[in-house]
Amino acid sequence: MRSDLRRLLDAAAAAAKEADWLGLRRRRTSAAYYMARDGAFDQAIGGVDDGVMVEVLFDGRFAYAATPDATPAGVARAAASAMVCAKAAAGRGVYPFSQAQRPGTVAEYRTPRARMAPVAPDGVFAFLLDSCAALKASDEVIQTTSIVEVGRYDFEIVSTNGADIEQALHYMGTGLQAVARRGDVVQLRTANGPRGLTRQGGWELLDTEALLADARRTGAEAVELLGAETCPSDRRTLVLTPDQMMLQIHESVGHPLELDRILGDERNYAGSSFVKLPDFGSFQYGSKLMNISFDPTIAGELASYGADEIGAVATKQLLIENGILVRGLGSLESQARSGVAGVADQRATSWNRPPIDRMANLNLEPGSTPLADMIASIEKGVLMRTNRSWSIDDYRNKFQFGCEYGTLIEDGKLTRTVRDPNYRGVSSTFWRNLCSVGDASTFAAFGTPNCGKGEPNQVMFVGHASPVCAFADVEVFGGGK
Amino acid sequence: MTNDFKSHFDAVSARALGELLPGERAAISYSAERSSFMRFNNGKVRQSGVVEQADVGIKLWKGAKSYSIQLGLTGEAARDEDGVAEAIGQARALMPLLPDDPYQAVPEAAESSDARYPGKLLPEAEIPARVLGPAAGLDFTGIYSQGLVCRAAANSAGARHWFQTETFLVDYSAWLANGRAVKSSYAGREWSDAEYAERLASTRLSLENLGRPEKALTPGKYRAFITADALNEVVTFFSWNGFGERGLRQGESAYIAMREGREAMSPKFGFSQDFSLGVQPAFNDDGELAPERLVVVRGGKIENAIVSSRTAKQYGVPSNGADEDEGVRSVAIEPGDLPEAEALEALGTGVFVSNFHYLNWSDVQAARVTGMTRFSCLWVEDGKIVGPIKDMRWDESLYNMLGSKLEAVTKERHLLVESMTYEKRQVGGSLLPGILVDGLSFTL
Repeated sequence: MRSDLRRLLDAAAAAAKEADWLGLRRRRTSAAYYMARDGAFDQAIGGVDDGVMVEVLFDGRFAYAATPDATPAGVARAAASAMVCAKAAAGRGVYPFSQAQRPGTVAEYRTPRARMAPVAPDGVFAFLLDSCAALKASDEVIQTTSIVEVGRYDFEIVSTNGADIEQALHYMGTGLQAVARRGDVVQLRTANGPRGLTRQGGWELLDTEALLADARRTGAEAVELLGAETCPSDRRTLVLTPDQMMLQIHESVGHPLELDRILGDERNYAGSSFVKLPDFGSFQYGSKLMNISFDPTIAGELASYGADEIGAVATKQLLIENGILVRGLGSLESQARSGVAGVADQRATSWNRPPIDRMANLNLEPGSTPLADMIASIEKGVLMRTNRSWSIDDYRNKFQFGCEYGTLIEDGKLTRTVRDPNYRGVSSTFWRNLCSVGDASTFAAFGTPNCGKGEPNQVMFVGHASPVCAFADVEVFGGGK
Repeated sequence: MTNDFKSHFDAVSARALGELLPGERAAISYSAERSSFMRFNNGKVRQSGVVEQADVGIKLWKGAKSYSIQLGLTGEAARDEDGVAEAIGQARALMPLLPDDPYQAVPEAAESSDARYPGKLLPEAEIPARVLGPAAGLDFTGIYSQGLVCRAAANSAGARHWFQTETFLVDYSAWLANGRAVKSSYAGREWSDAEYAERLASTRLSLENLGRPEKALTPGKYRAFITADALNEVVTFFSWNGFGERGLRQGESAYIAMREGREAMSPKFGFSQDFSLGVQPAFNDDGELAPERLVVVRGGKIENAIVSSRTAKQYGVPSNGADEDEGVRSVAIEPGDLPEAEALEALGTGVFVSNFHYLNWSDVQAARVTGMTRFSCLWVEDGKIVGPIKDMRWDESLYNMLGSKLEAVTKERHLLVESMTYEKRQVGGSLLPGILVDGLSFTL
């Protein structure tokens, strides 16, 4: 396909002769979505989308034109439109960009897959119907849903300075949910949160035996929560499992470290950051147990790739080392504007939106504490599993997060189940109270395809892996009016 | 790409419906746009460009089987007819492998509509100068978008609907060095330099209040005047775990207690789905028309839930032309009797909430929501503005905010147009008053 794209590049370049640089970024998305509800068919959807973004650099300013018309005439028109935009901004560019922000990278990446041949729809629905049955733990379960979403993103980039990138990312997400009711009490339990179990890989991810076991546990826990007391309201040690840590990392570490937020690009929509540019290299973000990595090289985690969408080669980098902030989540563009070291993270939701700074796989590195030792060391605490609610201010300071399922920790032991567990805090205070990091046996990777950001708006797939972690002196509370 | 989206839709939908075999039925939904975007930061152009795109959704029914197709289109009718026909062929091969759909709701609606709202927009080459020039001197951040947006639907029962509108939107905030900002927007169909200058003048005036010393509140309950802009964030919660019939029946709605009479909102509070606002079409993806006005909450009690044809089939209740997700569209909250000009006086001492941010559920079943204050929220004493507050987290049940703690609703309402651009420029909007709340719980 790239030979086609190079032919289109010639057509675009001919239509924008004044451009100092020109690139084409093609993205084809194909996806299928299958859903059963209450043991019956609910939805089956298949789709394809394909288009090209033409980008020009003129007098230090990038501008774009996106079109689904991937013909020489179509991209030529787009190139001419992009030139109009670039010229119109004369004297008003935010920074004098150059080709250094669009390296001529040659790269290829493909998701490793053990099983490449798709399971036929009747096989997928056999699993979905079985899992609804497994979720139906009792008559108190009033709704069961089971979802499989599967797809691939094909990326191609070519440019007048020799970029030649081809990437094929394959993903699958599974969703299991049970809603249970007893009297006026209603509880919802999922397997790892809404769309939390989304990973790169092939059809081996449809591990029906393991997923059916998850479904049985999920349904049983929904019913268990009906009889649970509400989470107490006080301050205590909080233990979070990886399917909540993903959200904690995402909201209170990932977004604050995005250089485009710190530079102010997002102030009108997603927000800014409490982190300032001079903080890099010295700011004590968390306790010495905190090591955060940007790692797009982990096979199977949702946001693994070989290069970002402006051609920066993706490598693992530590952003926070022993609690000290050392590097930002910023692309070649943001690095040039800020003077802060960054990563290969400029990505777009599709061909119709320009790439911006994005998390990829943002992970907390494992520590050395076995889970049993962690629990045994806590006199008064609560363990919370699975995100169900998230809210944080526009500087990424004051957060409140909620989970589906809690277990009290009393005198070093896990004791009673509690429902509607929530907690709130301030980001850097919270991370400085990180008091225990689980060992590699507690480490698990999750991902979500729906992180929202940018103007115009974009959703993005991100991955987060973490061990179980404990935080001291956290305000926790339950539900109710 | 085509310059005539209507002809393109006619060709693509005719091809899709023309390909149907005996026993097959279909509904076609279509959207298209030609948009210009300019993102700006500190009064400078951060990113600018144009996007043209079109897509089609095809729901296909045969016997007891249902399948949906979602295709991006090239904008060239001949190529897109090929693509649609091929996709229908692939669907036919796949559908026998699906289980039967027990709640298949094939549309029978056969109405037609055609609504077109032309605009007078800026020439692309003039956008930076006309938008950023008048804002010189401001730390001015946000996005300008403009262009043609189209929505359409057709079905095999004969429905044909077309909606197109040309609009612009400057969605912006202006910042002080102390990190405080005024958020505002200028939207419409015909650009006016004079109206835009007026809006910016008002923004400059509002910034003066934010230069005063910041007041840090301690957690507790405060009187609060919540503006229409801030209330717009709450309206999201009428669709998310909201007033859809399926969610009310299946345990996901936040308003089950209200439906069952265990909770209520204030007798002062009511809202409707009102398509007379003219900001989005009343037809859904299946070509079904919703009533022009549907009262959802009247006098604090649920009068009608939002019902799709699929839910109607499942539970034997009438449909009201909702989308499958049963979200509320074109929300109009009933006005009250508090003149907006008297809002500060009525507030007395408390918080003037200009904007909320990042709301989410604390407890769905208690309709309890948490969120942040943002931008130019002000501390008011005895009806006089003292200065900006340090942003606070709040946590409150909507049964309190819109119920027992709702003291007054303003007479005046504001039309707030949809600004979201996920995947495509969205259409829609809400007509909202401000509200006065006694005892909003601030927590952090």
